[in-house]
Amino acid sequence: MIKMKRFTTAAALALCVGMASVGMMSVGMVSTAQAADYPEKPISLVIPLGAGGSHDLNARVMTSVIPQYLNQAMIVQLSPGAAGQKGTNEVATADADGYTLLFTHNYIDQLQQHVENLPYNPLEDFVTVARINFAPIAIVVAADSPYKSAEELFAAAKENPGKIKMAHSGNWGALFVPAAQLMQANGFELNLVPYKGGGPAMQALLSGDVDITMGFPSTLAGQLSAGKVRVLATAGDERIYDDVPSFSELGVGGDVGFMHRVVLAPKDIPEDRLTLLRDAFGKLNDDKTYQRMMGRMGENIDYMSGSDYDKLRADQKEAYESLVKEITGG
Amino acid sequence: MIDQFFAGLELALRMDTFVMVAIGLFAGMLIGALPGFTTLMAMAILLPVSFFLDPIVGIPFLLGIYKGGIFGGSIPAILVSMPGTGAAIATTYDGYQLTKKGQSRKALDMALFSSIFGDTASDIFTLIMIFPIALLVMQFGPPELAAILFLSLVIVAATAGRNPLKGLLMMAIGLWFSLIGTDPIGGVERFTFGLFELKSGIPLLPMLIGVFAIPEIVNVIGDRSQQIKSAGKVLGERLKLKELKRCFKTICRSTVLGTGIGVVPGLGQVVAAMMGYTAAKNASSTPENFGKGELEGVAAAEAANNAVNGPTMVPLLTLGIPGDNITAILLGAFIAQGLRPGPELFESQGNIVFAILIVMILANVLFLVIGYLSIPFFARIVSIKSSLLIPLVIMFAVAGSYVFRSDVFDIYMLAFFGLFGVMARAANFDVMPMVMGFILGEPLEYAFGQTVAMADGNFLQFAISDRPGMLAILLITPIVGYLLWRSMNKKMKPIIDNN
Repeated sequence: MIKMKRFTTAAALALCVGMASVGMMSVGMVSTAQAADYPEKPISLVIPLGAGGSHDLNARVMTSVIPQYLNQAMIVQLSPGAAGQKGTNEVATADADGYTLLFTHNYIDQLQQHVENLPYNPLEDFVTVARINFAPIAIVVAADSPYKSAEELFAAAKENPGKIKMAHSGNWGALFVPAAQLMQANGFELNLVPYKGGGPAMQALLSGDVDITMGFPSTLAGQLSAGKVRVLATAGDERIYDDVPSFSELGVGGDVGFMHRVVLAPKDIPEDRLTLLRDAFGKLNDDKTYQRMMGRMGENIDYMSGSDYDKLRADQKEAYESLVKEITGG
Repeated sequence: MIDQFFAGLELALRMDTFVMVAIGLFAGMLIGALPGFTTLMAMAILLPVSFFLDPIVGIPFLLGIYKGGIFGGSIPAILVSMPGTGAAIATTYDGYQLTKKGQSRKALDMALFSSIFGDTASDIFTLIMIFPIALLVMQFGPPELAAILFLSLVIVAATAGRNPLKGLLMMAIGLWFSLIGTDPIGGVERFTFGLFELKSGIPLLPMLIGVFAIPEIVNVIGDRSQQIKSAGKVLGERLKLKELKRCFKTICRSTVLGTGIGVVPGLGQVVAAMMGYTAAKNASSTPENFGKGELEGVAAAEAANNAVNGPTMVPLLTLGIPGDNITAILLGAFIAQGLRPGPELFESQGNIVFAILIVMILANVLFLVIGYLSIPFFARIVSIKSSLLIPLVIMFAVAGSYVFRSDVFDIYMLAFFGLFGVMARAANFDVMPMVMGFILGEPLEYAFGQTVAMADGNFLQFAISDRPGMLAILLITPIVGYLLWRSMNKKMKPIIDNN
């Protein structure tokens, strides 16, 4: 009996130590070795957003397929906080050795610098590895809403400035910015009510707390087929739904209402490593398993090469700067 | 609907489903027991596994991790006073005191039984009432949430203890801590002293470990007599049926409270555990025993925080809208299987939804067995010699604080809150109102900000004409607060006089 007790105590101690070592392992292996064979250890993919969001889910798919093109694992590291600045700053201050990458979107990347003092400079501190995909935003009202078309909505908003309530997912976020861009382009004013994410914003629309909201097609499918909501317009030049006009048709052109999911690297990353990473993401894009898994999640695959997207970033910077000036009156 | 239910039952009874649920439960329990690792992380990491499994295997696997993880969080709370999540705070109170009395096994058993009872009852309730709950959920918007959060603060303050002034002071400090960082609505920096690290606010986990675990560690190190405890005795007995019966009323009360709180989007497990605990303390004829190792306290908190789970699934299943990050991951798992939760899913594939709900309930039976068998093993941890256990606990405290966000700053935070906890204890201040103020402060501010935005400058008219629910809650708040304060005072007074 005493032996038995000893055994279990020892086992409990072993369990403790075991759990601790698992913990230590996931903290990450610190390595100082610098070898020619890049990558020789797992690459961290920092996401400046919380668990369970669309970036997290996209990254889980990416990182489960990309190891076969990198011959190394890619590890998701969530670092939410300060509206994405915390994780972004971590990558900005990390060694530019290609072992720390950032998976972010255009609003965190290029808009924030105009509304806050950042400890980093997005264009000067980062270079694009690849754009993974993008999501066009849609203007959504409840099925029983009085607004039958985008024109009616815009006219009503002009007549009653600040009376129409729109639920968004947080200031200067993925729903707020397109709304601000529409307000800027059409000269009307909405009452923007913040919610903690796109889900709660949609719930606010369904319960009648707000008049309109926005959402990405991948999250709208269920509500649409159930006949609970109506889409008034979608971002871009092309129509996404046959009978719903695009933003261009309503006179709002350009890069408005798109959330680009992009992988960035610190600017000083060695040229050969950047090329290797860009190639790997290019190959990932053609991978059948990757395509199938992303399709199942309801996400599109709209790869854009890093160098092409870098040009877009410079344009975004200017567009967002004038937008912020106009909205805040600065 | 009945047909779908039986078709679902047929689908659910599969061997591989239960094997995967068991693996999920055990994995969740281990990860939940590790401070710093959250159930959410475990689910996100293991999500791709579910992509390659049958829907009726993969989704229950994730649900297993979820259930196991929530109970797992109460293990370090009871054994070493280290709550891994906000939901386990109320459990820390009596759970750790029971461990000190040498009844850790009993406390863990009680936590397991009340967790599973709360969970099962709320799951069954959800299964039967899913559509009425879906309607009810829609009645709660930010204005009602703000009013309920305010009511919760008043309840915490009214029942804080013998010295209401001390309680209020600690709560004010907690509310102030919640203001530090970037203002969640306007984006203005507050009280950050120019430190970038403080911009994202004070992290919850280092605060919890700091104020709850560090003072206990200091206590044990200071009190040498504790170190000579012999290994055999500290485990104590298992839970007796008699004790379970005594607490049954409390468990039921907490289950009802927890389920009700689960219906309100945005309240969650922390509030449920706190309210369940407060209600039990208030109903008890010996409230002075709470916080000193009362089994009822563990039962009240654990039943309530698990009862939240059933109703939180409702918006996901009926509307396809995830209310929090856990349900967002589940949504991802559903969609990856070609199942899009929402009103149509019940019509087109109702049998699968029912099958998943049935597995959720059957998983609880499985959990009872797995939990009951593994508790003696976990309980052994406290029988490790203090000279080994204390360094281990310190290591877990530091590693747990760090690993959550991988940020060295969080270790400084742990040290700061550890010192805060030690000082508060020395001065006889209860840290609970501080922690509750901190946890409730942020959502209260956010919901209030949303309400002001919705009211568009005319608050009174908005409350009367648009939001009678909010108005009603605000009106009963002072009455509830006063009644609770009076009844608590009446029961506690004689003891103060005796002292």
